[in-house]
Amino acid sequence: MQEFETITRPAHQNIYKPIRATVDHVIRESPTIMTIGMIPEQEFRFRTGEFIEVTIPGVGEAPFTPSSSPLETTRLEVTVMRAGYVTDRIHQLKKGDVIGIRGPFGRGYPLHKMYGKEIVILGGGCGFAPIRSLLYNLMAEKEKFRKVTLCYGSKTPEECIYKPFIQELRGIDKFEVFRSVDKPDETWEEAVGVVTLLLDDLKVDVPNAVAVIVGPPIMMKFGTLKMQEMGFPDSDIYLSMEKNMSCGLGKCGHCMMGKYFVCKDGPVFSYDEIRDQPDIWK
Amino acid sequence: MPDSFLISDQNWDRILKELLTENELFAPLASDDVLEYQLVGNEQDLSRIVYNHPKPASPLKTFFLPVKENVTRDIGKERPRIILGIPACDLAGLGLLDEIYLQEPLVDPYYRARREHTLLIGTDCHSIQEHCHCTSYGIRPFPQVHADLGLVRLGDRYLLYTGSEKGEQFIRRHRDTGYFSPAGEADLGKAEALREETTRQLQEKNAALPDYEKTGALIRQSEESIWKKYAATCVSCGACAAICPTCTCFLLIDRPGFEKIRNLDACQYPAFERVAAGEDPLADRHVRFRNRYLCKYVWKPSGFGSIACTGCGRCIEACIGKINKNQLFVELSS
Ligand SMILES: Cc1cc2nc3c(=O)[nH]c(=O)nc-3n(C[C@H](O)[C@H](O)[C@H](O)COP(=O)(O)OP(=O)(O)OC[C@H]3O[C@@H](n4cnc5c(N)ncnc54)[C@H](O)[C@@H]3O)c2cc1C
Ligand code: SF4
Ligand code: SF4
Ligand code: SF4
Ligand code: FES
Repeated sequence: MQEFETITRPAHQNIYKPIRATVDHVIRESPTIMTIGMIPEQEFRFRTGEFIEVTIPGVGEAPFTPSSSPLETTRLEVTVMRAGYVTDRIHQLKKGDVIGIRGPFGRGYPLHKMYGKEIVILGGGCGFAPIRSLLYNLMAEKEKFRKVTLCYGSKTPEECIYKPFIQELRGIDKFEVFRSVDKPDETWEEAVGVVTLLLDDLKVDVPNAVAVIVGPPIMMKFGTLKMQEMGFPDSDIYLSMEKNMSCGLGKCGHCMMGKYFVCKDGPVFSYDEIRDQPDIWK
Repeated sequence: MPDSFLISDQNWDRILKELLTENELFAPLASDDVLEYQLVGNEQDLSRIVYNHPKPASPLKTFFLPVKENVTRDIGKERPRIILGIPACDLAGLGLLDEIYLQEPLVDPYYRARREHTLLIGTDCHSIQEHCHCTSYGIRPFPQVHADLGLVRLGDRYLLYTGSEKGEQFIRRHRDTGYFSPAGEADLGKAEALREETTRQLQEKNAALPDYEKTGALIRQSEESIWKKYAATCVSCGACAAICPTCTCFLLIDRPGFEKIRNLDACQYPAFERVAAGEDPLADRHVRFRNRYLCKYVWKPSGFGSIACTGCGRCIEACIGKINKNQLFVELSS
């Protein structure tokens, strides 16, 4: 297995015990997506692509990839799609509420492998959360990359999240953003159709590029096929896998994907690492 | 053999009696019901301890991974524990638990505390049970790994041998009693002959069963139909995983006050891998059933050094649907 960035380790002693974090702000991004900003009780560092477990006391815990900049160590944001029991409760959070966080866990993006290259990012739905943290990281080190292209898709214009951030990104040299929606409305001026269509018009120097894909399984599957068609070798296609998780520690077994514990060995994998494992698109 | 000693049964009981004051002692106790590791509560119980016997009904893991445990509480001082009469298969099963729960730096502090304050005394099996198949997977029916001490009853005496530093300390601490004498060739030879005999019985009984690696290869190549056939009577009760010495999956449950309870869980329960979007790789019963064997014979071996099936046979005994995995593997290999 490839050596990615060294894994950051939980600072606290008991691996199961969350540290406290106070909700600082909530931003409604779309009818189903919300960003929660929080201030952890102690300095909190993570690398882009690593994830945390968020505890709503007495309710439950769920894994999220921070969507804020990994360069910030005193505050943290997660962007959460309402999907069930725990995320419902997360959507009810308000400023001042105290929640718990554990982590960071797992293996994030191998930034050092991307230095000097062009980065093509394909994202869909709530997959934008980890991508935003990656983009913050790339923005801070932009002299180290040739070019960054973001192709992002959502169902409707209403579900296009991070609107101010997209504006900001479009103003930075080396960064390009293309968006598409499945169902446009009268205000929509960008592409219409599945997100992979955005790749058709890109001019990519594939031998000097890497691909990053984050989104719902079906999108990751077709995104991967498309990147392969474009000539990306499997080892240059990075996927962020989503599996059921409980511990985040490589112990509870819920996230097993063949021989891997996605929480510990991933969640970021290059496609060549996982292509032979079962059920990767489920 | 490492350092080996002989001790009379009366003197061994004297030592155990003394140990009872400061330790919690557990051992398989003779009963009308099934054989289980039980608390030796008092002196009278000492005479009920069963030696040289194949595995108790429940696995050793329950001492280290209770079914439910608060994993956010402070670890208090617990009484040291001694577990006596552990067969080789249960000891071998600890390997995988250690790899998972003691993995640096993500150490489970509760597991570690229990491991540290527990002395493990293994025993040789002088008989076998219907579904024992340890030797098929390279485990011989006497303690080879993870035991601090090994103990064999030979008539009215015991042969005691050390397996770890902790075990050596134990001997040093009790040496002054004068109860121990060095074991001679004759006794060692007798113990060895009994080991050979048990091994022979196991090999004979399981002659048709493919070995651990071969089983993994067979599972990889298997067709879905055989899993459908064997899973037909599976009711997804999870008993096979609960009773298995190497199944360690769990779910964290939240309690108010940021408390978390680690509850043993199993991939045999529906929705174990279901994600919020509704996707569930293990939605079909036969796929779930197969998952347990893929886990044991294919996936765990590629990520861990320790064996993930000890051949104890408990999952066969516990199955309500009367599913016999060994029958399945024999069919796969023929
Ligand atoms: C590494 C990782 C990063 C993630 N990052 C984000 C993110 O940035 N933003 C976001 O909106 N979502 C993210 N998710 C998905 C998010 O964790 C799930 O939507 C969430 O767990 C659903 O919980 P629930 O209780 O609301 O749903 P329910 O359907 O009620 O879930 C019940 C239980 O099933 C399990 N479960 C269900 N779905 C998932 C799932 N998809 N992943 C893991 N466990 C699940 C959990 O144990 C949960 O407690 C991420 C998932 C993973 C694995
Ligand atoms: S499987 Fe082997 S070691 Fe375990 S009880 Fe049976 S004979 Fe003893
Ligand atoms: S799979 Fe069955 S035979 Fe193997 S260790 Fe588990 S309970 Fe024992
Ligand atoms: S067989 Fe199932 S319950 Fe047992 S360790 Fe593997 S995944 Fe967990
Ligand atoms: S989430 Fe528990 S092992 Fe991965």
